[in-house]
Amino acid sequence: MKPAKEIRVGNIIMVDAKPFIVLRSDVNGSSRTGFTYKWKMKNLLTNAPLENVFRGDDKFDVVVLDKKPVTYSYFADPLYVFMDQEYNQYEIEEENLGDALNYLKDGMECEAVFYDGKAISVELPTTIVRQIVYSEPAVKGNTSGNVLKEAKIENAIESKRHTVQVPLFVSQDDMIEIDTRTNEYKRVIRN
Amino acid sequence: MPTPTTLAIFCKVVDNYGDIGICWRLARQLEREHGVQVTLWVDDLSSFRRICPGVDVAAAVQHVEGVLVRHWGGQDGAFAPADVADIVIEFFAVDIPPRYVEAMAQREPKPVWLNLEGLTAEEWVEGCHALPSMHPRLPLTKHFYFPGFTPRTGGLLRERGLLAERDRFQADPAAAPAFLTGLGVTPAEQAALKVSLFCYRHAPVAALLDSWQAAPMPVTCLVPEGVATDTVEAFLGGPPNAGAVATRGALTVRVLPFVPQPDYDRLLWACDVNIVRGEDSFVRAQWARRPFVWHIYPQDENLHHKKLRAFLDRYCPDIASLAGFSLRWNGAPGEDNMERLSWAELWTALQADRNALLARGADWEKRMLEIGDLATNLLGFARSLR
Repeated sequence: MKPAKEIRVGNIIMVDAKPFIVLRSDVNGSSRTGFTYKWKMKNLLTNAPLENVFRGDDKFDVVVLDKKPVTYSYFADPLYVFMDQEYNQYEIEEENLGDALNYLKDGMECEAVFYDGKAISVELPTTIVRQIVYSEPAVKGNTSGNVLKEAKIENAIESKRHTVQVPLFVSQDDMIEIDTRTNEYKRVIRN
Repeated sequence: MPTPTTLAIFCKVVDNYGDIGICWRLARQLEREHGVQVTLWVDDLSSFRRICPGVDVAAAVQHVEGVLVRHWGGQDGAFAPADVADIVIEFFAVDIPPRYVEAMAQREPKPVWLNLEGLTAEEWVEGCHALPSMHPRLPLTKHFYFPGFTPRTGGLLRERGLLAERDRFQADPAAAPAFLTGLGVTPAEQAALKVSLFCYRHAPVAALLDSWQAAPMPVTCLVPEGVATDTVEAFLGGPPNAGAVATRGALTVRVLPFVPQPDYDRLLWACDVNIVRGEDSFVRAQWARRPFVWHIYPQDENLHHKKLRAFLDRYCPDIASLAGFSLRWNGAPGEDNMERLSWAELWTALQADRNALLARGADWEKRMLEIGDLATNLLGFARSLR
């Protein structure tokens, strides 16, 4: 059993004896009793999507599914194709990729998750490094990180480019580290 | 489906008077105005008794003003489906006894199960209000219900006759003096600027009292017994019991007895400025339509500051004095120009904006009325789920 606050996008949980994949998790603060977790989920038996909210300490059975290292290969509209080391291809629906779609990049390494023999989602490493493809010019001297600006990061599908909030001193073409659990900027990587 | 006629509220007292204060108002209103049979489960009858003197702290089960009050002694206890109410409310996400939840799952029709959450002006609440929360193991669905300040939330607690009663009180020149005299406030103290003070222990009360002592106009600070005791005792030079009073410079501090809820409303209506805390008195101060300052329940990582700012952004984006005073009162960083001001300057600025604050109070009330009251909205939502 895992509390809601430890469950990540891509996890499969059992709710009322039915398997659901968590597609998106928004954490909202400031309730006296802790954080509120709003999840976009999908019933894996019926494919029906739904939104639910949970308390951080609500406990769920997490289904441990087969996983296999894969790399992102190409987009075969409307499916995303991943390949394992034996060149087996796995097609995954866009909506099942959840936040992983934000970081999709040709050759990206991740883990495909299987349910009932079918690849249903991918799990990303906790942190990944991506290049900024567009941002307003850097502000010199600002290293506090308190004030943020928007930055678009590289992505395999240009129309899906994701925006991350970064400090003002970060500039276009910089490589940044991102926490995929929170979708937040962690640090800039410069030589 | 039949119309819900029974309702159970589970209340755990964490903030001494706020939790039970809200649950008691809600329970009473549902019973009186909507004819719902309410059972209020509460774990701390002593706190309850301070706002409602009719409560017997030794009774496991009792009727108080038409509401069945049950002492919630723990998580044990056997429950059958027939024990479960049509609507079950867990207040502030408390854990309902596990066997009560099991009985809920066995009941047909299933009860409407709501988690009544805390009040916040933050935008995310609109996206979570009224959303379902499926039980991980049982065939039960709970819904989150948020009070709030916008039409996409549940609104604020407000009894049907509250504002008319307030208007009568405030329009009657004899009402406030008679009420305050009954609390021991002298005519001379009533002639000064009257401030009610209700706050948590960490509020910078001493600094505020210092500034009032040196104020150009006399101030009477009315503080309930048990609030800011150390600072009040230091000011009085003696025990801060109800009835204790002292004057230093322009300031008189008088300790009031802890009054029942209806009298606390009258106190807010009778004062010129109200300093309130938590959620229950915060909402009552809004209905008093007098300038007020909110001391917010503290949370880890200063999350309460975010919540305070969200409210100030909605309530007074254009009245810097109230925002500045409120942020300082809660230990939150403010704007640079306000950060430099002393307590005396902050207070002077707040008083200078008195007319703007009174007008804002009236505008705000109109906006809140359009949303409807929490009890009626909640009951309507529960009916829509049946």
